[in-house]
Amino acid sequence: MTRALRLNKGIEQGVLDLLKFLLDSGKVKGVFTLNKINSNGDVSYSIITRSSDLDSAVPFFPLMPANAGKLLSRFTLKGGTKEPIVAVVKPCELRAFVELIKREQGSLENIFFISLTCGGVYPLKTEVDGTIKEDIPKYWDAVSKGEILGDLRPACRGCTEFKPHTADITFDVIGSKDLDKQSIAFLNTEKGEELAKGMKGEFLEKELDSKKLNEFKIKRESEKKKLFDELNIKMNGMDGLIDIFGKCIGCHGCMRVCPICYCKLCEFESPDAEYKPSTFETELKKRGGVRIPPGIIYYQLGRLTHIGISCVGCGACDDVCPMDIPVSTIFKKVGESVQKLFDYVPGRDVEEKIPLVTFEKEEFKDVEE
Amino acid sequence: MNDSKNTLAKGVTVSSKFGIKETIIDFLKRAMDKKIFDAILIPIKVPAGDSFVYVLLNEKSLFKDAMPLPPIMSVQGAKAISSITRLGKGNLKIAAVMRPCEIRATNELAKLKQVDLENITLISMDCPGVLPTSYFLKDPEKMTMRFNEAAERQDDSIMRPVCQICDKSSMVAGDLHIGTLGAKKDTFFIISNSQKGDDVIHKLEMRLEDNINSWHESVKKYSQEKHIKRKKNLKSLKSKVGGLDNLIDTFSQCINCHNCMKACPICYCRLCYFDSDKVKHPSEEYLEMAEDKGTLRFLPDTILFHVGRMMHMSVSCVSCGSCEDACPMSIPVAQIFSMVADETQDLFGYVSGRDVNEPIPLTVYKEDEFHEVED
Repeated sequence: MTRALRLNKGIEQGVLDLLKFLLDSGKVKGVFTLNKINSNGDVSYSIITRSSDLDSAVPFFPLMPANAGKLLSRFTLKGGTKEPIVAVVKPCELRAFVELIKREQGSLENIFFISLTCGGVYPLKTEVDGTIKEDIPKYWDAVSKGEILGDLRPACRGCTEFKPHTADITFDVIGSKDLDKQSIAFLNTEKGEELAKGMKGEFLEKELDSKKLNEFKIKRESEKKKLFDELNIKMNGMDGLIDIFGKCIGCHGCMRVCPICYCKLCEFESPDAEYKPSTFETELKKRGGVRIPPGIIYYQLGRLTHIGISCVGCGACDDVCPMDIPVSTIFKKVGESVQKLFDYVPGRDVEEKIPLVTFEKEEFKDVEE
Repeated sequence: MNDSKNTLAKGVTVSSKFGIKETIIDFLKRAMDKKIFDAILIPIKVPAGDSFVYVLLNEKSLFKDAMPLPPIMSVQGAKAISSITRLGKGNLKIAAVMRPCEIRATNELAKLKQVDLENITLISMDCPGVLPTSYFLKDPEKMTMRFNEAAERQDDSIMRPVCQICDKSSMVAGDLHIGTLGAKKDTFFIISNSQKGDDVIHKLEMRLEDNINSWHESVKKYSQEKHIKRKKNLKSLKSKVGGLDNLIDTFSQCINCHNCMKACPICYCRLCYFDSDKVKHPSEEYLEMAEDKGTLRFLPDTILFHVGRMMHMSVSCVSCGSCEDACPMSIPVAQIFSMVADETQDLFGYVSGRDVNEPIPLTVYKEDEFHEVED
């Protein structure tokens, strides 16, 4: 059994009350959360230190303007925070941050995590056209019924890692009734229990309902299969790759928003990816025509090789692609097959080593001759 | 506006009975036969048909999918030229067929030493604008038709917002220019703007004449109309985005992906200042900033990035619109940058990319300027 806390407030207000309590009681110095930053209602991650400023916070808003894992890495890259901070993030953001920690791109020190069983987020374009504001009631209704909305990010529709692995506190929302009236937070760790201590509400011993989560997972699995199937028709060989990535303009937006891609200077923006005129001349002799700038497929495959093992399938790449290439579906498909080979779930456990940095004598016998 | 340095350019009238595109490609093929060019850099339709990309080709059969004036600008041409000549000129004589703003950006990159033009002949065309990429992607085939129809009747209403206010769409800043404005039915002009251009014409046994007045006049009229529209639109934009509060609101949805910078033909830095260590701070400092204000938006440095980038490149901005097209949040970046660029360039009487020999203002010293900012 896990300790849990029942709050007599709907999910959105419930988490906000908890955050206020944490800040007011001095248990944390700052709250990292999604926040409405202007009268337009535009949402961005913010660090809030003043309790009254939390009125504009929207911790569980179904949008990911940037993967929080990347932002927390930026926050702690030059050393962990000395003051305690609580971060409200989605499961894939937490996993991304853990992957970055393994790569020494940040610190977990003094950061507590609140997350939720995640119903997914809307694409960024819904913030641009403003439709997301109207969709919020519909969103929570679907989440409480354990339904998958068709207009969510494709990556979210097919996500089976909706339950956070390492959050200190997890709000139980998928398939939970009366989300507008009450909310239940599971206190998964000692830190989580410590944080919640003194909070007004009913403390219980409870377990996350694995049956309803499994049912939800089956729905997500079938959505994922649908996404992969739609893509599969074109996935074969070089021609297939050219069909999909042919329109890529090489803006590298996908790389820049990817929480795993942390390199200061990407290999594909380095001198390695620049060619002497003589190289073009040689290629021209061989092929009669060279795409300029070259290396579109090379970049995509290279990035896949570099980050596939740690891809958390957050879908940030999809959302920024100006050419509407289904980047995340491809990366998720390839990423998952690589991860399966090593029985690795990126971000599940900070102690679990990235497979490619460990050596196991007894593996892949089948590739020996 | 469209006044290039060489307003007295001469030209050749060419028959285009078999289509403008076909005639241009035929011209390029003949120049290859005569060994004037070894290879051509030209937009080609990708196999899936959903974009046009630059291809450097010497195999003539590849011309079958070539489109000298494609409906979109997927990669700014200056970036393509930089890609092949950044590390120095090659042995091949290359003709590059692109839009005027791409050639202007190429000239700026040449000044910034990111392009070597010695063996490159730049060929531009009267430009009707390009479609926003997102619009094109909805249905590439249908949108290509729609683009061609709109180009035909000089209707810019479906083009990129900055194309709708472009007053340099016929600026001759390269070596040769294809002029369609003011040409008689089934003809167009080939205009030379340099010794390199003259040589191509002579080697192809064509004769340059002073008979392109009708083009000059049409261009003048057209670009004057656009100039007025540009001033008007940018003025009204300024009232919406001017001042810090409006600026913050305008960029409030920015997600710091830096797509605008990556798509910008002028932003050539390998490692942008705003991606460098300089802008990364210890967590204490971020927390201090948050405590000062109660709330710190974290994406940090959004306005700093845009204003900083503006300072770095606005004097060379060619208003191509690539930044805006690449923005996942549909922020009118190109319009804002154009507005500022017009003003910074005006201060120096500079027109970015107009002339490859005109130095970038910030690289030259003039004793007698800006007296008004002296004490």
